[in-house]
Amino acid sequence: MKKTSLFLLLFGLLFFMAACSGEENAAGNEEENDTNASSDGEIIAWAWDQHFNIAALNVALEHYEDENFNLEIIENAQDDIVQRLNTGLSSGTMKGMPNIVLIEDQRAQSFLQSYPDAFYPIDDYFSTDDFADYKIAPTSYDGKQYGLPFDTGVTGLFYRTDLIEEAGYTHDDLVDITWGEFTEIAKDVTDKTGVAMISLDPNDLGILRVMMQTVGSWYTNPEGEITIANNDALREALEHYKTLLDNDSVKIVSDWSTFLASFNNGEVASVPSGNWIAPSISAEDSQNGLWKLAPIPRLEAAGAVNASNLGGSSWYVLNIDGKEAAAEFLGKTFGSNVDFYQDLVEEVGAIGTYKPASEGDAYTFENEYFNGQQIIYEFSQWMEDIPEVDYGLNTYGIEDILAAEVQNYLNGKSLDDVLADTQTQAENQFK
Amino acid sequence: MKKIRAILYQNSLVLKIFLVLLVSILSVTVLTVYSSMRMSSQLFMDTFSITNTKVMTQINERFYTFSNSIISASMAMENNGVIKQQLQEEYNSSLENHEYFYTIGQEMDKLQAHINDEATIVLLTNNNETFNTNFGVWDVDARILANSNIKRQIDQSQNKVQFFYENSELTNNQPMILVGKALKERSTQSTYGYFFTAIRERNLRNFYQEYTSEGNNILLLTPSGKIISSNLRDKIGEDSDELLQHVLDYEQDIQEYKSIQVFGQNYTILAEYVPSLHIYIVNLIDQDLLAQNLIDTNQTIIISVTVAIIALILAFIIVRKMTSSMSDLVYQISDMARYQFNKPLEVRGGYETRKTAEAFNYMLNELQDYVKLLISTQEKQRKSELKALQHQINPHFIYNTLTSIKFMMNQGKKEEASQTIESFIVLLQNTISNLDEIITVEQEIENLKNYVQIMQTRYSDRINVHYFVSPTSLELYVPKLILQPFIENAFFHAFTHKKAGHIHILVAEKDNFLICEMIDDGDGMKQSATQKHAPSKKNQLFSGIGVRNVHERIQLLYGLRYGVDISSEPGKGTKVEIRLPIEKKKT
Repeated sequence: MKKTSLFLLLFGLLFFMAACSGEENAAGNEEENDTNASSDGEIIAWAWDQHFNIAALNVALEHYEDENFNLEIIENAQDDIVQRLNTGLSSGTMKGMPNIVLIEDQRAQSFLQSYPDAFYPIDDYFSTDDFADYKIAPTSYDGKQYGLPFDTGVTGLFYRTDLIEEAGYTHDDLVDITWGEFTEIAKDVTDKTGVAMISLDPNDLGILRVMMQTVGSWYTNPEGEITIANNDALREALEHYKTLLDNDSVKIVSDWSTFLASFNNGEVASVPSGNWIAPSISAEDSQNGLWKLAPIPRLEAAGAVNASNLGGSSWYVLNIDGKEAAAEFLGKTFGSNVDFYQDLVEEVGAIGTYKPASEGDAYTFENEYFNGQQIIYEFSQWMEDIPEVDYGLNTYGIEDILAAEVQNYLNGKSLDDVLADTQTQAENQFK
Repeated sequence: MKKIRAILYQNSLVLKIFLVLLVSILSVTVLTVYSSMRMSSQLFMDTFSITNTKVMTQINERFYTFSNSIISASMAMENNGVIKQQLQEEYNSSLENHEYFYTIGQEMDKLQAHINDEATIVLLTNNNETFNTNFGVWDVDARILANSNIKRQIDQSQNKVQFFYENSELTNNQPMILVGKALKERSTQSTYGYFFTAIRERNLRNFYQEYTSEGNNILLLTPSGKIISSNLRDKIGEDSDELLQHVLDYEQDIQEYKSIQVFGQNYTILAEYVPSLHIYIVNLIDQDLLAQNLIDTNQTIIISVTVAIIALILAFIIVRKMTSSMSDLVYQISDMARYQFNKPLEVRGGYETRKTAEAFNYMLNELQDYVKLLISTQEKQRKSELKALQHQINPHFIYNTLTSIKFMMNQGKKEEASQTIESFIVLLQNTISNLDEIITVEQEIENLKNYVQIMQTRYSDRINVHYFVSPTSLELYVPKLILQPFIENAFFHAFTHKKAGHIHILVAEKDNFLICEMIDDGDGMKQSATQKHAPSKKNQLFSGIGVRNVHERIQLLYGLRYGVDISSEPGKGTKVEIRLPIEKKKT
């Protein structure tokens, strides 16, 4: 009797053990699956550009003192991010979506207006008053702030002092000029030096947007209506565009790398572009000290200012688990940390849109490459003047249509027809 | 060490049986576990390779689709009249250039629809201009591309689509797969541009990544042995002739899968050729690792070890129980001698042991009975022998004594003669007539005095005997004629050189012994001689009892604690000490 019970006990023990270890295994597998699907406590951020946006995130991490905060940064091409966001948000599953995502300002509205519930309002985590005014409209929707403004796309006119002087102009001749004056200087420069004034990609009409924004105009109005047909700013911009081409002042480029090559190889005398092009210009050592910076030219129209914007993006928090931690992180770094912005300028060369930061030492750094100019400081000053524009939903879509019509315009089609046709096509497509 | 050996020796039976059990249980366990694991991993490998063969086919199809899209894109570009025309014209003004670049850009965007979003199409013109549909994928520098080996190789190829793996300045040091083709005018065969497609290695990996796992690796291998893509990151870009050889061998074999050794590890290989891309898809399966994931070795081992341990413990307990009683029995038997075969065995343990012990005990009892009988018979015999000796009076003694008396009479020593006769009579009476074996000390002393008296008459008064008997011991009993042989010994042997001396006789109780001491100041003898207890027994002059017998007799009567002790020193004398029990009653 005693022995039988002993045996039973032993066998019972054996089965218990087997069962136990089996369960353990199953639990382990589940855990593994979990980490694959979504990670607990880990915040995921999507951004593009290893040397700019992702570097900025890393600087922010260094300034964030929360040991429980775990940020995983995933690099994706901008187009990838746009496509994945569209796919994910339109399906509504939110599975595999990041907590933090970088969106270019001119695209932001298309996301915010299409999927307002997918984003988490972050009004409570920072003060919008601290940021450049022009950044607020693209990053907010329906009275709520969704984006934390990151870098500015504030533009300037980089130019080659040697070529400009050879054409008989000085720095002062380039300060606070109109685009009309710019085209004339361009003609002189090309005629006298044989070098084109600017490089343009026929498939990228960014220069038109830069011109339009100097008077606060856009392809659409804040109500979302397409305003091309009667858009005086666009009309004037297109006239300048054609004049530049007619005068042979333009070096045509096909893509980004040929664009960079155009000024690095000394094929153009100026680069009117966003501040972010500065590191690419100064990458060419042989031109050290040959470059200077002037304010971007303005349109003739009333109220035009010598300040505009090209590019620039902001951080958004998606409305999924971990949103508070993500918003907290952004608020404590990009949203309010002056020291962080100093490091951002020094280490990454990125100019934020956080106004209090412009008083720091890093902003007054005299850049030798640009003849000792305090270019960061100048940019930060112009930044505050950038007219606020509602970029609307379809900037890039409209521009594709416009690009074709621009070609027609260059081939002799009347400007009125070009604008009217673009208006019609855009309305057909987007209304 | 010795102790351990002793313990081992004592438990050798348990150990032997246990060892046999241990070996058999362990070998059964190990063999079962091993063969079941082997069988299941074999089965797993079979099914796994079937699945993987299908997976390979699927991957192959994906690559086929991909390469098709590239080829169709390249065909589309070559057949694109707009591009062809634009590329063959000259452009002088900004305006003309603007149109040219715009048009080509538009056409390129259309071509992009042919291929995957993760790839880019690049058009290189003879003027070293590039048009790039997706420079996020490949930020190509026209000058580097125009001077690259890749372009030269394309020039040399006969209008064929060429595949390259590149990880250099050309691809901004990112591993990429480049596909290139020269655009040629049909009639003149002149090249008017180059078509390129680029896909990053990591995007190419997406074609098969989902099928890989730890230990289940996929590599893309060119026919020249270069690994152009893999989920094993560190292998990308490596040249491995070794692997290529295995792949070629595999191709020739008809086996479904094959075990090889590559990269210093054992793998199972599956491979498939992708004709459209001219690459091999190689599937390397780390069999051990996969089997490890499949078969929870730890669990199996833990369970089998537990089972084996439990079985061994049970076996040990049972064997131990069975053999311990037996080895205990053996131990008791071997220890028998220490207890004079007096201690019976403990009857316990199993049936066999109990019966053995009982039989052994029975035998032991019988044996003891016989031994006892034997001893008592011998004792009786000895006693009666001694008794007989006790009653014997040496006729020479009588004769000598009587002769002495006759001489006394002749010399007219009437008084002395009568005293001697008196002593002789009492002596004879006490020794022969008194049949008691045990007498009081008083009687013994009296006998002694009579004997001494006779001896003194015979040998004059040269030797003086002094008695010191404690009054309390007078009443005690001693064996008859226990002192006499020593006095006789002293008279005849102690004074051959000295001629005169004293003998002191002391009788007293001490430490629960009755001690009788006879000390003479005669010649003494060497210590070795004392061992022999005086000269031979044949020379007993008075009775049959000799010095030697006395010791024997005392021990026979009272035990080993009692007896005679003689110490002597030549020239100084001899001391005889007799230890006897204090007996107040006649036994």
